[in-house]
Amino acid sequence: MTPRAKRSILYWLLMSPLMIAILFPFGVMFVTAFRPREELWVYPPTWSFSEFRWLNFVEMWDKVNFGQALINSLYVSITSTLLALLIGIPAAYALSRFRFKGKGLYRQFLLVTQMMSPIVLVLGLFRLMVYFGLVNSPNSLVFTYAAFNLAFTIWMLQSYFSTIPRELEEAAKIDGASSFISLTKIFLPLAVPAMAVTAIFTFINSWNEFVLALTMLRSQESYTLTVMVFAQVAGRYQVEWHHVMAATLLATVPVAILFSWLQRYMVRGMAIGAVK
Amino acid sequence: MSVFKSVPFWMILPSFLLTFFIIGYPILDLSYTSLQEVSRFGLLRGFNGIQNYVEVLNDPLFVASAWRTLIWTVSVVVGTILISLPVALMLNEDFAGRGLARIIIMLPWSISLTMTAVVWRWGLNGRAGLLNATLMDVGLIDQPIEWLATATLAFTVEILVGILVSIPFTSTIFLGGLSSLPQDAYEAARVDGATRWEQFRYITLPLMKPFMNIAVVLNVIYVFNSLPIIWVMTEGGPANGTDILVTYLYKLAFRFGQIGKASAISLAMFFILFIFTLLYVWLVMRNENDGDDEDVGVEENEVVQ
Repeated sequence: MTPRAKRSILYWLLMSPLMIAILFPFGVMFVTAFRPREELWVYPPTWSFSEFRWLNFVEMWDKVNFGQALINSLYVSITSTLLALLIGIPAAYALSRFRFKGKGLYRQFLLVTQMMSPIVLVLGLFRLMVYFGLVNSPNSLVFTYAAFNLAFTIWMLQSYFSTIPRELEEAAKIDGASSFISLTKIFLPLAVPAMAVTAIFTFINSWNEFVLALTMLRSQESYTLTVMVFAQVAGRYQVEWHHVMAATLLATVPVAILFSWLQRYMVRGMAIGAVK
Repeated sequence: MSVFKSVPFWMILPSFLLTFFIIGYPILDLSYTSLQEVSRFGLLRGFNGIQNYVEVLNDPLFVASAWRTLIWTVSVVVGTILISLPVALMLNEDFAGRGLARIIIMLPWSISLTMTAVVWRWGLNGRAGLLNATLMDVGLIDQPIEWLATATLAFTVEILVGILVSIPFTSTIFLGGLSSLPQDAYEAARVDGATRWEQFRYITLPLMKPFMNIAVVLNVIYVFNSLPIIWVMTEGGPANGTDILVTYLYKLAFRFGQIGKASAISLAMFFILFIFTLLYVWLVMRNENDGDDEDVGVEENEVVQ
């Protein structure tokens, strides 16, 4: 056996317990989501079940108001991402292209805000939203998500912007283009991939957020997906687990696929953005 | 004023205003509220000094939650680092199916903690949970175990889930670090006849130290603040036996209506968090300064020789 083959077997063996633990919840989700209701509580518990009950998804969709929660999640995640980008792009551009007083200080400020977790501030934020009359409105989440994601957005964008050679813009200016033209025609097109990657990570962060959504959203019509799924489980005497798992499956798998596909950018962003 | 004519100033201003307001205002509000007597419905009834803080410190549930937070944070962070480092070392080398392995290891990161915790709550169900099914199938247990019914067992399980979901992020930091290590140091070490263990002990480990520091500090911050796992799996129960500071704080604020006490705890947590954040900022800035002079690995090379 070649050394590589030996190493491959050894590594897979060493990592297999961890991988089983990681894949276990996915197995639970699939097996329960498709299982007929009457087979949920069989004793002794077992993985196998008699048929794929696709109807579970149809029933679940109506019963838990999945469509509305999906729309709310999409609205909150997309709008907060756009707001973060709109505000973050100029800031990131300034940090990567200009030398100015207080630049180091501002980057430190961003790092500090990135570490501030919503849970520590949640009571104050709730009182703030009461004051503005935004409790129960998805817009309360749009502003808070955008604010909590800004630091990440700016750091990530800035690290990518710095890799775009400044000479390109300078050359355009020498050829007589205005600052605005060189920005919109030269810089922005080159920066689109970076913006897309950053946007998707911000989107996923907002999509997955729990504490603020749980606090601000008070009625079923305004629930996002995470709160909706939680509400099916918390404080209920009887939980319809096959519906809960069907909802979880629909809410998570698309995002998981997107994330897996983009994960290599994260390694890169982490190496140059957050750590270096 | 020249600053108002400065282009970068105007480009940065909106981002500064939004973050400063959304993060700054709650801190001011919490500081003020924590010094007030507050009614159940959130009405301020006047200044009462440090009364809220005194009440918090004399609350046995607070003290128990604080201890449990310490156990929770230390166990999850240590467990995560101990597993993530070897995982990252393996993922950094070439082997068959590495791409797939990497995707599997990173999977928990892509899913919201809430959803993960909901699935685990069902998977650990004391009667029909599939963990019980699995353990009974392979013959490890004869009867289903009530994983979440007793505080000690439930808390242990929650720590393990906490470790599981922290591994992807931590491994990613380590992978970023490993990819930046200078390859010539390893070549020099091999020429000098260093074993793989010696290469790891005297090159990899010392050069990975900055990344290790960052991973520890970031994980401490995230784990210390993490609500969803415990909130979804046990809601701090049974009998407050799995409450950590964040879950206790949330109960005080949004279930028991003890706004004054909750503000005091929030503010105390904010200061703890702030200290760790300053530590993080200091580490990041120090790394950036090190990056300016290129010879990070020089001292370590000498150790090997």
